[in-house]
Amino acid sequence: MTTHGDPGADPRAPVGEGSAAPVLGEALRRLRGALATTTYPLAVPSAAEARRTTRALITQLDDYLLPRLARLDAPLLVVVGGSTGAGKSTLVNSLVRARVTVPGVLRPTTRAPVLVCHPRDLAWFRQAELLPGLTRTTRPSDDPRTLQLVSAPALTPGLAFLDAPDIDSVVDANRALSAQLLAAADLWLFVTTATRYADAVPWELLRTAQLRGTVITVVLNRVPGPAGEEIAAHLSEMLAAQDLAAAPLFVVPETEVDGQGLLPEAATTHLRAWFDRLAADPDVRAGVVRQTLDGALAALHPTVTGLAAAIDEQTDTALILTDVVEAAYRTARQTLTQGLRDGRLLRGEVLARWQEFTGSGEMLRQVQARIGRRRDRRSKAATGRPGAAGEQLQTALESQLATLLRAAAAEAAETAYAGWQREPAGAALLDPELKEPGPELSERAERLIRDWQRGVLELVAAEGGGRRRAARGAAYAVNATGLTVMVAVFASTAFIPTGLEVAAGAGTAVAGQKLLEAIFGDRAIRALAAKARDDLLARIDALFAEEADRYLARLRAVEVRVGLGTALRRAAAAVENGRRAAALTARTGLALPGADR
Amino acid sequence: MTGMIGKIHDVLRPDRGPDVDRLLARIDALTRLLDAAENHLPAERLVAARTVVERAGARLARSRDHTVVALAGATGSGKSSLFNALARQELSPVGVLRPTTGVTHAGVWGPPAGAAELLDWIGVPPRHRFIAGGDEPDEALRGLVLLDLPDFDSIERTHRAEVNRLLGLVDLVVWVLDPQKYADRLVHRNYLREFGRHKDVTVIVFNQADVLGRTELSRVLDDLRHLLAGDGLADVPLLATSTLEPASVDPLRTVLERAVAGRQAALRRLAADLDVVGDDLAGLLDAAPPGTQVDSATTRRLVDALAASAGVPVVVEAVERAYRHRAALHTGWPLVRGLRRLRVDPLRRLHLSDADRPADPAASVVAATSVPAPNPAQRSAAALAVRSVADEAGAGLPGPWRDAVGSAATSRLDRLPDALDRVLATTDLGLDRPRRWWRLVQLTQSLIIAAASVGLGWLVVGYLVRVLGLPPMEYPMVGRVPLPTLLLLGGLPAGLLAALLVRPIVSVGARRARRRAEQRLRAAVADVGQEHVLAPVHEVLSHYATAWEALGQLRSGR
Repeated sequence: MTTHGDPGADPRAPVGEGSAAPVLGEALRRLRGALATTTYPLAVPSAAEARRTTRALITQLDDYLLPRLARLDAPLLVVVGGSTGAGKSTLVNSLVRARVTVPGVLRPTTRAPVLVCHPRDLAWFRQAELLPGLTRTTRPSDDPRTLQLVSAPALTPGLAFLDAPDIDSVVDANRALSAQLLAAADLWLFVTTATRYADAVPWELLRTAQLRGTVITVVLNRVPGPAGEEIAAHLSEMLAAQDLAAAPLFVVPETEVDGQGLLPEAATTHLRAWFDRLAADPDVRAGVVRQTLDGALAALHPTVTGLAAAIDEQTDTALILTDVVEAAYRTARQTLTQGLRDGRLLRGEVLARWQEFTGSGEMLRQVQARIGRRRDRRSKAATGRPGAAGEQLQTALESQLATLLRAAAAEAAETAYAGWQREPAGAALLDPELKEPGPELSERAERLIRDWQRGVLELVAAEGGGRRRAARGAAYAVNATGLTVMVAVFASTAFIPTGLEVAAGAGTAVAGQKLLEAIFGDRAIRALAAKARDDLLARIDALFAEEADRYLARLRAVEVRVGLGTALRRAAAAVENGRRAAALTARTGLALPGADR
Repeated sequence: MTGMIGKIHDVLRPDRGPDVDRLLARIDALTRLLDAAENHLPAERLVAARTVVERAGARLARSRDHTVVALAGATGSGKSSLFNALARQELSPVGVLRPTTGVTHAGVWGPPAGAAELLDWIGVPPRHRFIAGGDEPDEALRGLVLLDLPDFDSIERTHRAEVNRLLGLVDLVVWVLDPQKYADRLVHRNYLREFGRHKDVTVIVFNQADVLGRTELSRVLDDLRHLLAGDGLADVPLLATSTLEPASVDPLRTVLERAVAGRQAALRRLAADLDVVGDDLAGLLDAAPPGTQVDSATTRRLVDALAASAGVPVVVEAVERAYRHRAALHTGWPLVRGLRRLRVDPLRRLHLSDADRPADPAASVVAATSVPAPNPAQRSAAALAVRSVADEAGAGLPGPWRDAVGSAATSRLDRLPDALDRVLATTDLGLDRPRRWWRLVQLTQSLIIAAASVGLGWLVVGYLVRVLGLPPMEYPMVGRVPLPTLLLLGGLPAGLLAALLVRPIVSVGARRARRRAEQRLRAAVADVGQEHVLAPVHEVLSHYATAWEALGQLRSGR
């Protein structure tokens, strides 16, 4: 009758016009590859849905699109789907006039799918090109990962029925499996009942199928005798309202089943006749296959574009999260530079110690008058023993800077934490310890400052060899000069006292500057202080980078990859172009046999 | 709220069972819990509990002679047929087109007067209320208000919303399942599972049992029982009914009669609601209160940091120097005392001397001091100390409460600098008046200098007398030294010596003054810390303790 499933016929017949099929197949395989590499590691709102969609798409590609495109002439697969208790199994049995699947009163009844086909088509389905994920068996099973194959000689060749599990029972595996099977259907035989037809769940699936272009046939089952016409009319109305007016509608009355559990032959006559006609006409059959395939392919582009958008959201979110952390630590760094720049750090403890170090507060204010006494102090420093005052100054510097560092780091950690918590994706990566600065921050901060101080002393010693200052520098111990340079780092606003500073009582600090300039020479101190400050800031930057990395490492660990979105879009566009070129439905508009109820 | 509970209690007192008292006590506990938690927990976590309190108040304020029973089920499960079978007349429309019932119908057994208020509250309009029983009223069901709810699974979303609203208000729910739909995911996951805690007020009816054979029916009922056990409804009544066989509805009728006669359904339902809310809130109150006070070590650290940030060390340093300065003004060698006056008083430089302090600190606007503004490090140290108070006080509390403690601790942080500045400006530093012994030393110094001056004058007079050729004066002799010479030569070093001798005493006094000022300032700073940091924290902690204790009562009263 036809060449379906005949190994002698050319099984890889080209699709549509010309050689578009291999191109399309290649594009589909590329798309599958691209899909397989996508990940949605960040918990943005779209991620869960995108992950599900990706899985469903890959399954659909493997289960249906790729094998169906390769063999357009393979038997037509009718998936019988619907709510639990709608009578799907009984209907399948009655259609093939054999008890091939087990109906029952317990819900849900069918848990593993059963495929019924003519013995001649059995070979094709056994090849497991279609629905490769399901293990073929010949015995009834309850394992949802198996597909029971049953041959029914009463069935017209070229047609296969798949009894799918329900779509709405408490068994979640059933729902997932039936969605997978429906995505592989050439034709969906949607079975509902007089009590079920207004349920919300199946209508959602119908809408999905309709958007995907799947060919749908509706059976209204278990209709109590007298009300049949009225209910059927209502259902037709509802179908029309959902743009499904083209779907043929069959009414099967509620009747007693016979001893074999089959409906009386009269009840299913129209439906059987309709399927026979469908199977008998290769053009119509091919039309159904092509329309569903074309619809499924056409639906790929928007879906994959949606996935690409979800990928973009991932990369965007990763950028936002990075920005939040970097901004927090940038602010911390600014706090520190600010503290160093405006000399305010000098005001309290450090200033007092500096005054002690150079003499007394009064002396500093009247520096010119008392230069002689200060010289005594200097000569004491020059002996190489900086004395208690020098040590105190060093400690004061250290503790002030350390406190500032610690507070800035604590604040940055808190800001970054709050920032991540605002984003669901960030909140998922957080863990309470991140709220605090990293472990042993105080020790690290103090070590940083001691290292810096040592660095300054080395710098002073190294610079000691050069220029005019060398002669003078020899007169002073490295320690004293080093301390002076350190203070200069805090005190200098490019050595220009601002009105604000003077007003705020920091005038003494500025006076200290002038003194230093007078002693050491303006340029030398400026150069040394600039170097020391750069060194300090570099060390602080490193510390903060380390702190920020506690956050960023978590982001890196989940691997948000860049460029996947573009790859997906390109692959989807290629599939769409291939589909257009293949022109699967261009030959004839699909004319289904009418349902005559 | 408490007032309303009291009123309800009075209304109910005549027929109160032990349950009512306990229920009211639990509602009261929940109210206290909500009041305590109100400003500290995210509002959305408390919405459910608030709804329960409101509903319980509203329900208890209305007729307890009536029991509101809802028939809930999927479309096509035969709720309306069952409703009509119970009422023994056609009250609710039955149809073949789905979904049938879009509005809630209410049947009232017995006089409708008392039920009217109840139905107004539930929201069933008068045109959908019926008197059930008709000509021969069913006395056994007197007091029953039966609601025929819309379906919850059809494409009409509004039906679902109506069902969800009503399920929260009724006293007892009869779930109507049927052979086709009894295993639907929607009814089990979205509804029955939610009623796991309401076993006492849940009845399951397996309707349309007539379409199954006897053995099939018992298998299906077993299967259904299994599913119900999965929903946490293992031992709720499960009745098979069929509206085609009126006798099969009788067990359901009996259940309803008992519920109506017992008048306990409303209380049980509210008690179950409280159970659910109590369990929900338990996650927010799962640690015993750590006490309502912050420990002293933390407090001391806070005061240290605040004092440093306020500039207390600078001030006490100034106090010590001011003491020396002022003591020197009084006790110094009078000949060089004048030079001292040229120096600025250290306290005055900070605008902290007595002249700057207003007579009545409370009444006047206090001028800002000139104590240097805290540098970034000091400010950070204060913020760190406040933060560590929050950390230590909140340790061991559930997350949201820890956050609440944190924000309470920092809530007045921005007012802290000003408050600390006021402390410096208004605290008495104890240097108001010169010390009495200073005056004594001053007097002594004056006497010594006077003696020296007398000696000098005397000698000058003697010199003048000799220059003018007058007969020389006879100086009284002390030993072999003339008295004026002794006065002059002894007085000058004596003054210097006296000034030197009091120095150590001044030092001791200066240190003591410094200590006293430090104590006073720290006490004042501690007060500021108490008011601005600890008090808000203590408030949260005591609210937590209240809420925790209320939760205990809420959950113990089961």
